[in-house]
Amino acid sequence: MSRTRGKTAIVGIGEIPTGRYPERPAISFALDAARMAIEDAGIGKDEIDFVMPTGALFSGQFNTELVTCRVVEELGLKNVVGNCQVFSGGSSSTNGLRMASALIETGRAEAVLFVHTDKLGTGVSSQGGIDLFSTAGISAEWETPYGQHYSTVAALTTTRYKYETGATDEHLSAVCVSNRKWAELNPNAFFRKPLTLEEVMASKMLSTPLRAKHSNMLLDGGAAFIVTSAERARDLTDTPAYVLGEGGAVTHFAFHQEPDLTRFGWAKAAQQAFGEAGLTPADIDVAEIYDSYPIYQLIAFEELGLCGRGEAGEIFLRGDTWPGGRLPTTTDGGMLSKGHIGAGGSVSLLVEAARQLMGKAGERQAPNARFAVETAVGGTYMDAQVTILGTEIPS
Amino acid sequence: MSTVSPPAKPEPVVAPWARPFWDAAAKGQLALQQCEDCSKFIFYPRVACPHCASERIAWRTASGRGTVYSYTVVENNAPSAFIADMPFVVAVIRLEEGVQMLSNIVGCDPDKLRCDMEVVVTFERLNDNFVLPKFRPASNS
Repeated sequence: MSRTRGKTAIVGIGEIPTGRYPERPAISFALDAARMAIEDAGIGKDEIDFVMPTGALFSGQFNTELVTCRVVEELGLKNVVGNCQVFSGGSSSTNGLRMASALIETGRAEAVLFVHTDKLGTGVSSQGGIDLFSTAGISAEWETPYGQHYSTVAALTTTRYKYETGATDEHLSAVCVSNRKWAELNPNAFFRKPLTLEEVMASKMLSTPLRAKHSNMLLDGGAAFIVTSAERARDLTDTPAYVLGEGGAVTHFAFHQEPDLTRFGWAKAAQQAFGEAGLTPADIDVAEIYDSYPIYQLIAFEELGLCGRGEAGEIFLRGDTWPGGRLPTTTDGGMLSKGHIGAGGSVSLLVEAARQLMGKAGERQAPNARFAVETAVGGTYMDAQVTILGTEIPS
Repeated sequence: MSTVSPPAKPEPVVAPWARPFWDAAAKGQLALQQCEDCSKFIFYPRVACPHCASERIAWRTASGRGTVYSYTVVENNAPSAFIADMPFVVAVIRLEEGVQMLSNIVGCDPDKLRCDMEVVVTFERLNDNFVLPKFRPASNS
């Protein structure tokens, strides 16, 4: 299966530091990130012929501005044939890249700008964020009336995973520590002070066994990337991040419908992605794993085949995933340390995967990074998505 | 301290085809759909069988017995309408009929909760309009 392998590439990336910007309008994050991405790609703004703003959750009013072409007008893009929102919550990065690649492969577009912005840090209150995520993506008939929200969602998976695998609180907390070690090296991350296992395990209990420091924090931010054909990419840069493979598995809408709370659809998605790329998990040099809560990083790591079932916790604990480790993982600090900016959580990870392959990751550059895997998932972990990028197209 | 009263508990936003479920709950019964073609039980209620797409669907009264697939005790950071309830238990229940539902476990010391424990349905009135099916331990053993 190699129908799309290496036909398109990410050639430009942009990102603003995740943070709290009460005085800045949300559109500014999109505009800044988009302009950085255009400059990074080395193309003229009027070469962009398709714009994909993903969704912003903090304001329905603002989101309609993204839907109705505000980014195109603000940037003065003159040759855009379509501005169309691609939004699937936390998996928007993969779906955006998938849609952009499809447009390019079929000749419907030549250079696609995907852009994300959201203001969940200062655009909603702390309790407002909890309340938002007790309705957004939660079944209003079958779950919201029982107090379901994203902490309980993650906790339900964590409880069952611990029961089935024997994983410990140390294993879960090790994910937070690993991601923080990368965030310490990332100027775009919000939490950059060193974090210890003890601090994680002493933090306030939210929904058992999930503690405050096992939880992401909602923040403001934005990121963008530009996708073009492999041919055009080679004209533009020596370091395109080729799209080698992707896979996905939609498994539920309402969380309780998920048949396997400790696996989801990752194995199926990974099989598709690695198959299309012509690679195996052993070929991966850097793993950007979606981490809104530590349990999801452990599960995806295992189900991708990067280690065996129930083994991920030890791997994070002993440092294989840390800077200098065998498999650099979630190297931007992830949603746990860089910060959760809505759909942008996975956009950040995809941008980071491209950044690592482009050799632009500075202090946290993974050595000899040729192949990267990125995972993304939306809603209550409804649609495991796997993307494989590379600096070269495997023969 | 704020003197604003907490928001009312969210009511289920009922799909028309799910109305028999809530009518049954109000009478203290747990109702499930069953496909008359493939015989599989269906939860939550659908317009057509999600297994075989049949539109021949009947309502049955479930046994009310099940096991705890997973659970969590909410101790902090609950949605506004649930803050006064903390601690409370959210669980995914696997019913004997082979379907899963989300609910609360009541009448159980949180320390005694475990995965795969047996539970039975019980009913709690939410307000004048709704009764919610919840679950409690099947026995004290």
